[in-house]
Amino acid sequence: MPNVIAPLAAWFAGFGRGTQLTLAHAGSLGRLFWQICRVTVQLKVSFRDVANQFYIMGIQSLPIVLVTGALAGIVTSQQGGYQMTSIVPRYVIGSLVVETVVLEMGPVLTAIVLVGRVGARITAELGTMVVSEQIDAYHSLGRDPVALLAAPRVLAGVIVLPLLVGIANFIGIIAGMVTAYLDVGLGYESFLYGARLFWHSWDLLYSLSKAMIFGLAIPLISVHMGLLTRGGAEGVGRTTTQAVMFMTLTILILDALFPPLMLQ
Amino acid sequence: MIHYRNIHKAFDLPVLAGVDLQVETGEMFAVFGPSGTGKSVLLKTTIGLITPDRGDVEIDGASVFFGGKGALQAARHSVGFVFQNAALFDSLNVFDNVGMGIPEDELARLKRPEVARRVGRVLELVNLDPSEVMGKIPSELSGGMKKRVGIARAIVGRPKILLWDEPTTGLDPINAAAVERLITRLSQELEVTSILVTHDVEGGLDMCDRVAMLDGGRLRFCGTPAEFRTFPDRVVRAFVDRAAAEAALDVATEFND
Repeated sequence: MPNVIAPLAAWFAGFGRGTQLTLAHAGSLGRLFWQICRVTVQLKVSFRDVANQFYIMGIQSLPIVLVTGALAGIVTSQQGGYQMTSIVPRYVIGSLVVETVVLEMGPVLTAIVLVGRVGARITAELGTMVVSEQIDAYHSLGRDPVALLAAPRVLAGVIVLPLLVGIANFIGIIAGMVTAYLDVGLGYESFLYGARLFWHSWDLLYSLSKAMIFGLAIPLISVHMGLLTRGGAEGVGRTTTQAVMFMTLTILILDALFPPLMLQ
Repeated sequence: MIHYRNIHKAFDLPVLAGVDLQVETGEMFAVFGPSGTGKSVLLKTTIGLITPDRGDVEIDGASVFFGGKGALQAARHSVGFVFQNAALFDSLNVFDNVGMGIPEDELARLKRPEVARRVGRVLELVNLDPSEVMGKIPSELSGGMKKRVGIARAIVGRPKILLWDEPTTGLDPINAAAVERLITRLSQELEVTSILVTHDVEGGLDMCDRVAMLDGGRLRFCGTPAEFRTFPDRVVRAFVDRAAAEAALDVATEFND
């Protein structure tokens, strides 16, 4: 009998610790979000800081986003061409590329790229500021790190990601169209005909809504994790790794929640 | 006057276990103790950088933790904190770092040339050449210069109280002695109350009006430097002997280098 009770007790203890940790993170994230909303409404966020973050997150991420978007379009087009040869009309590739890129590949791949390029950077930067007492220094000087550090990053993320996803979608579609022409000889007019067949304006709104939510989640989680950092350089490395995992998982979970909410 | 009332703080283990301490206005006060006895934690509770589990801090009779958010902000405006490793903001140059020390509402009223004058004045007070350092970012400064900029940032807001967390740690003996002279001079010139957390027992005894020693999260000693030098408690004596041996080793190492 004790052989059964001990593992069960250990499982429940682990489950309890996991639940407690998840709830603590959720509460802390909620509080941070509320504080960011408050300082934004109170106009305590510097426009210059938001513009600076916009440049770092947006302009500096543009090359990798362009490459990712183009590759997403190319791969979708190639696979579409392979699967649809002789079964369905080839112009359906246009529909497949546009819908796949706009609804899924554009927002998700751009978000994943930004998790690595922007999210990890924010966590490491703020984590270093915590362990080197710079965050304490802000507090000691009567300054609010939420207004100075967190809010500009989150606001910039919410603005930047829909723009980047819009660009990634556009580049992905163009790349898919060119690939379809080169790969299976599908003309541009046929591609666009196919694209228009299943297109709804709602799809673009869906794509950009996803981008906006991802643009909120990435900097919010990365700031939250950065501010939780403890324990020197090792702690910064550990927290950054955890933050990347946490952000990636969150993006994928949010992605799974979108279709039942917006595509019914 | 700063009054620490029954301060308790535990992280994984208890760090402070009921510390009661009063520091008089205008006094220069040092806190000694072995590593991990909560000296820096006690200092950080003064302005709420760490919230005690139990107890309170009063500055001139006003509670820091039970007086609402306004009380905490007021406490932070009246106190300048010098961090162990200066804690300068990496992305800002010296001018912006020191300018951050001016209270936000006051900074909003000042024009840039006035801010530059005020920043320049405090940089001169800490023996730095404003024209040389103002445009530099922290990574371009030496350890001693970073400490001085950190001190300039702490005093530019004209605080009534200065808190020094290990101000000479990481400095060579020559720079450490220079910073100690600076602490004494600034505390006298600015007529502030100073609380100094330090490993440098001899330096602290020379500089301060009164000293205290923490051990095991409690106050082991509180009195004048003369009383400390002759205090018969074996824990205090062992700490003083060890600190003297470490100081001698530091000097020897520096000499050999």
